[in-house]
Amino acid sequence: MIRQLLGLYLLVGWGTAHAHTPLFDCFDNGDETLTCEGGFSDGASAEGVGVRLLDQQGKVLEQAKLDARGSATFKRPAGGFSVVFDAGAEHQITVLGDDIS
Amino acid sequence: MFLRPLAVLLVTAMASLVTAPATAHFLVVHTPKTALLRGEDLPFHLIFTHAFAGEPSMAMDKPERFYFSRRPAAGEPSEEVDLLPYLQAIDWQSEDSRVPAWRATIPRNLVRSLGDYQFVVEPAPYLEAGEDIYIQQFAKVMVNVGGVPGNWSETLGLPAEIHALNKPYANWTSGVFRGVVLSDGVPVPFTQIEVEYLNHALDVDNRRFEEQGQITAPHPSLEAIVILSNAQGEFSFALPKAGWWGFAALNVGPTKEHAGKPLSQDAILWVQVTDLPPLTGTRP
Repeated sequence: MIRQLLGLYLLVGWGTAHAHTPLFDCFDNGDETLTCEGGFSDGASAEGVGVRLLDQQGKVLEQAKLDARGSATFKRPAGGFSVVFDAGAEHQITVLGDDIS
Repeated sequence: MFLRPLAVLLVTAMASLVTAPATAHFLVVHTPKTALLRGEDLPFHLIFTHAFAGEPSMAMDKPERFYFSRRPAAGEPSEEVDLLPYLQAIDWQSEDSRVPAWRATIPRNLVRSLGDYQFVVEPAPYLEAGEDIYIQQFAKVMVNVGGVPGNWSETLGLPAEIHALNKPYANWTSGVFRGVVLSDGVPVPFTQIEVEYLNHALDVDNRRFEEQGQITAPHPSLEAIVILSNAQGEFSFALPKAGWWGFAALNVGPTKEHAGKPLSQDAILWVQVTDLPPLTGTRP
């Protein structure tokens, strides 16, 4: 996640979106589900932002929109996967399944 | 005939000044890192001490309250989570003896969500026998997870409180920290604030502060730096060194008596300061 955040920050760091950096993380709930949370560095709500659960080939397994608390919960897939926070072309963050604990 | 007794008096007075310990009590609420990329187990130590000198430390009863306040989402009210069940009594080295203090490990599952966590300690009044007064320090420290801002700028309705005007976890060295001193939510004009550097690192394995401090102050006024709030209760302070800086607004709470003795209700806020890393690349 850190690499993704840094990469994204470099991408937008000098642009007009500097004050509105997207932030995202996922947690394993210990019950075969995972919860992902997103937000922005200026405190803006991420409600309605799309989140996609992808398998290793990039196939969409599940998708959802973040709720009013910037949160969405998925069933944890077997095998490798990733989760993408998609708030627009310059506001995407990917968290790898291996980094979710 | 006159000069000698006067000289003796002066020398005696100066000697007592030089050897007297700093008088600023500080409730240290310590966790190693306050700006976290991801939630993790958070170790805390609660020690009633003298921040710059690192001693003496005072016996600390179990706090009346220990909790964090967090706003689940923008527009929602903040919620409090009781942390008293996580407190464990420890003994902490103070000069030649050990005194009661407290530690806690807050599990990751309570602090994994993105945002701010305002940790608050409301201690029981402490009888300072030397001054025959009670001291009660309402202490705050803030932790952020993931960079999403939350309720860092909200006040919590404490009897004595420092309202942060900067994020206490996001300060470069030499940056300016600003706050407002509040008594029951009302700004306190021209009140005294003591500012101290946490000069001795915590040696948590041996439950003591390290003997060697980071700074040797050339004058007592640079150990406990005293500033005043302005007419609106606001203050500002440039942070000269990375580490922890404590702000203590003394005797600002509304309750002035406890168990038949004077009570000083103080507001404490801890601010963590980070060095600017070396510049890389081409300066724009």
